[in-house]
Amino acid sequence: MTPPVQPRQGAGRLTAIATDVHFWVPVVVLLLGLSLLLFLR
Amino acid sequence: MCGLAAGAWLGAAEAPTKLVTVGFSPFIISLGMVAGVFVARWTVPVALKGTSFVMTDLKAKPHLIAWGLLAGMLWAVANTLTVFAIRDVGLSIAFPLWNTNSLVGLFWGWLLFNELRGSAAKDWMKVLGGAAAIVVGACVLAYATQQHSTAGPKNATLGILAALGAGLLWGTMYIPYRKAYLSGLNPLSFVTVFTFGELGTVVALASAFHGGLGNLWVELGRARPAMFWLFLGGFCWVLGDLFQQYAAKYIGISRGIPLSNTNQLWGLAWGALVFGELAGLAPGPRLLIIGGSAVMILGAMSISFAEAPAAEQASWKRATQRECERYGMDESTVAAAVRGEEPLSKAKPKRHWWEALVVFFAAGIFVWLGLNAARQELAFNLPWMIVLAAASLAALLISGVALWRRTRFS
Repeated sequence: MTPPVQPRQGAGRLTAIATDVHFWVPVVVLLLGLSLLLFLR
Repeated sequence: MCGLAAGAWLGAAEAPTKLVTVGFSPFIISLGMVAGVFVARWTVPVALKGTSFVMTDLKAKPHLIAWGLLAGMLWAVANTLTVFAIRDVGLSIAFPLWNTNSLVGLFWGWLLFNELRGSAAKDWMKVLGGAAAIVVGACVLAYATQQHSTAGPKNATLGILAALGAGLLWGTMYIPYRKAYLSGLNPLSFVTVFTFGELGTVVALASAFHGGLGNLWVELGRARPAMFWLFLGGFCWVLGDLFQQYAAKYIGISRGIPLSNTNQLWGLAWGALVFGELAGLAPGPRLLIIGGSAVMILGAMSISFAEAPAAEQASWKRATQRECERYGMDESTVAAAVRGEEPLSKAKPKRHWWEALVVFFAAGIFVWLGLNAARQELAFNLPWMIVLAAASLAALLISGVALWRRTRFS
C-alpha cells in the first residue's frame, strides 16, 4: 500500500514556490502596477 | 451562470467609486471598498461554510497561501488604478478598457495552464475572434474618450493608462485563481487569504500616499459619512468575486473571465442610466461608446462559447498533475475537488459558537456605518437604480440556488 501523499513542508515548500514561474509572473506585474501608481500620483 | 452573476455584482460594486468625483482621494475610496470587502468576507461566507472547513482546506494546500496573498495585492493595486481612471475618463469608458483583462487572463491561461491546448480550429477561431473584438472595442472607446472627454488630453491619456494598467493586473491576478482551483482549493478558502493580502496592501498604499497612519486616520474620519456606500460596494464585490471564482474553477479562466466581464454592460448601465455620464455627449460619441461596449461584449461571449473538448480537458489534467508533483498533493483527492466532489465539502462542517458572533459583529459594522451615512453630493436616477439593483438580486438568487444544487458550494 502506498503511503498517503503529504504536502511539502518547510524549506522544500519554499524552494518549490521560489522556483515556480507561476509565482514570479504575478510578482513582476505587481511591481509594474506599483510603479504606474507612483507615476500617476 | 456563475460568470454572468459575477458580471452583475462586480459591475454594481464599482458604482460607489463614483464618489471620487465629489473630492475623496482615490486611496481613501479604494481603502473604504477593500475594508468593506474584508468585513463582508466575514458575513456571508462564514454563514455559508464556517471556519473549520477553510482551515482544513488550507492545511492540505499550504503553499497556496502565498498565491492568495499575491492575488489580493494585485487586486488592491488594480482597484486603486481604476479609481484614478474613473476620475479622469469616467466609469462608462474606463470600465471596458480595464476589461481587456480577459485577454491577459486568456494569454496566461494558454501559456501557463495548458488552457485551449488541443482545442479544435473552430474553438480557436471563437476565442481569437472574440479577443480581436475586445481589442477593437477598447480602441473605439479610447478614441471616443480622447476626442470627446471633458477631461484635458493629459488627464484622458493618464486615465486610459490607469485603466489599461488595471486590466493587466487583474488579468494576471487570474494566475493565482487558476492555480488554486487546479489544486482543488475551495473558492471560499481562497477568498479568505485574498482579503488579508488586499487589506494589507491598501492600508500600506494609503498610509504611504497620505503621509502615515495618523493622517490616514484623519482622512478616514472625514470620509465616514460616505464610508457606508464604499462598504456596500465591497459587499457587492465579494458576492461577484465568489461567483467569478466558481466560474474560474469550473470552466477555466479563458472562458470564465470573459463571461464575468459582462460586468462592463452593468458598468455602462450604472454609469449611463444611474449617474447620467453620457448625458452631455452628442449622439455621435454616445453611439461610439455604446457600440464599442457592444463589440467588446460580443467578443467576450464568443470566447465563452468555445467549449473545452476532451483533448483540452487532458491538457488541464496535465496542469493539475504538475501542481500535485511540485507541491506534494494527492492526485485523486485533487481531481475529486476539481470536479466539485471533495469529501471535505460533503462532510458536515464543524461549527463554533463564536462564528455567529463574528457574523453579528461584521453585520453590525455595516449597520453602524449605515446609521452614520449621509447622502452624497452626487446626482443619480433612483428608478434606474432600483431596476438595476433588482436585476442584480435576481441574478444572485438564480445562480446561487443553481450552484448550491450542483456543487453544495464546493
